Amino acid sequence: MKVAGRRAIYRYPLLTRASHWLWVLAFFVLIGSGLQIFNASPNLDASDKSDPARRVLAIGSPADGVGTTTIFGHPFVTTGWLGWTDDGMGEKSAHAFPAAIIIPGYQDLSAGRRWHLFFAWIAALCWLAWLISSAIKGNLREMVLRPSDLPKLWPMQAYYLKLRKEPPPHGIYNPLQKAAYTSVLFVLTPLVVLTGLALSPGIDAIANPLTVAFGGRQFARLWHFAGMALLVGFFAIHTFQVATQGIVNQMRSMITGWYQPE
Amino acid sequence: MRRRIFLASAVSALAGCGPIGTALNGNDNVRRILASVEGLNHVLIGTRGLAREYRDSDVDRHFRVNGFAAPSDTHYTDLVARNFVAYRLIVDGAVERPQAFTLAHLQRMPQQTQITRHDCVEGWSAIGKWSGVPLRALLDAVGLRGDARYVVFRCMDNDGSGNLYYESLDLHQARHPQALLALRLNDAALDPDHGAPVRLRVPTQLGYKSAKWIARIEVVGSFATIAGGHGGYWEDQGYEWYAGI
Repeated sequence: MKVAGRRAIYRYPLLTRASHWLWVLAFFVLIGSGLQIFNASPNLDASDKSDPARRVLAIGSPADGVGTTTIFGHPFVTTGWLGWTDDGMGEKSAHAFPAAIIIPGYQDLSAGRRWHLFFAWIAALCWLAWLISSAIKGNLREMVLRPSDLPKLWPMQAYYLKLRKEPPPHGIYNPLQKAAYTSVLFVLTPLVVLTGLALSPGIDAIANPLTVAFGGRQFARLWHFAGMALLVGFFAIHTFQVATQGIVNQMRSMITGWYQPE
Repeated sequence: MRRRIFLASAVSALAGCGPIGTALNGNDNVRRILASVEGLNHVLIGTRGLAREYRDSDVDRHFRVNGFAAPSDTHYTDLVARNFVAYRLIVDGAVERPQAFTLAHLQRMPQQTQITRHDCVEGWSAIGKWSGVPLRALLDAVGLRGDARYVVFRCMDNDGSGNLYYESLDLHQARHPQALLALRLNDAALDPDHGAPVRLRVPTQLGYKSAKWIARIEVVGSFATIAGGHGGYWEDQGYEWYAGI
């Protein structure tokens, strides 16, 4: 197939594209509903039970009209953004994350949980379907970062920074892409799934070692939040790269499958 | 220009979560679809295994108080004033031998102690040392009829609008070895704020299952006709009946 008179390659099979976009939807819903759930108890403790002495993050409102975010005991005034925010009903009040980014867009823990637990299934099944189909087709080999890729990471970064004329030799995905995909698909996604499971008292009773492995229930909640924050970081870099490296070609390839090499 | 539009739409997609979620959440069909995974989670996770038991040194000496305030009506304040001598725990419904237990009677039954973590649906957790009568021992004492399916806990506290708190467990959950009718917390008789004289402890599920200030245990075939019909006060407000997750 040719696009704009040049040869294109069929880069993304249908299942990859479908799971990618469904995952995007689930990602937004899980973050919005997860922040809703977080708002019900806006503290993260590095311990099994809640323990103010081991508090890593606390978002609160010490007084009407003031929002603070306390990280490792250091308070920052975040009025309007965190702690004292728009409640979605036209007022400002003591809510950690603002109503505009929580699902639903007002305080409703039970609804947030329903959205979260439903889309947790969607995201996990998407990931699993993609993983199984990629493993069968053998595509994983091209995506996973290997020890031999490590020396190529900096040369690739240097190429992006225009400190180097040529990228290091690589396969379909360059070493930085491999590093990003490996961390998201094989580290962060399993992390948020497992820490989410560890928060369930029913699963804790079946598999307590899982909860213990993350340092206990509240610690698992902290890991779950940190995994989310890192995924948001990936999302920001990923969208920036898509936007700056031939957005039409990139978007077309993830929608139709056809990618046009440079 | 394209880049800017793309980035702007990515940012506004995040900020649109709230309003879009609000609009969709108002749709009954959407809510029904979202709720559909509760049954799946119940089947897959269920009530299996035992909640972890902790050491004495792990206990929170000042166990967090949450939920409704202790009942303030004269019936309850009189019970407290007279050390619960007039208290009766009524156990009836689909049982062979309906019975009204005094607190002294409950205290004479074999007691079990557990140091378990209480996981609140809000996200916090606390560890307490609970002692009391295993729920299954009480159910065995009254004998279940063949049509018994659920155990409903009727409480003395209300939401301020007159709606009494209640909860329910199925027989499998009610017979779990750690389902406990707690009479004591941290080596002292339960105080009014923690649900005196009798409260439930279900460490394999979220805290709202662990009903406080229990007045009556009613065994039923179905809870569809009780209050909002969803098997519990918070369940009637949209929370999951299966609270193991």
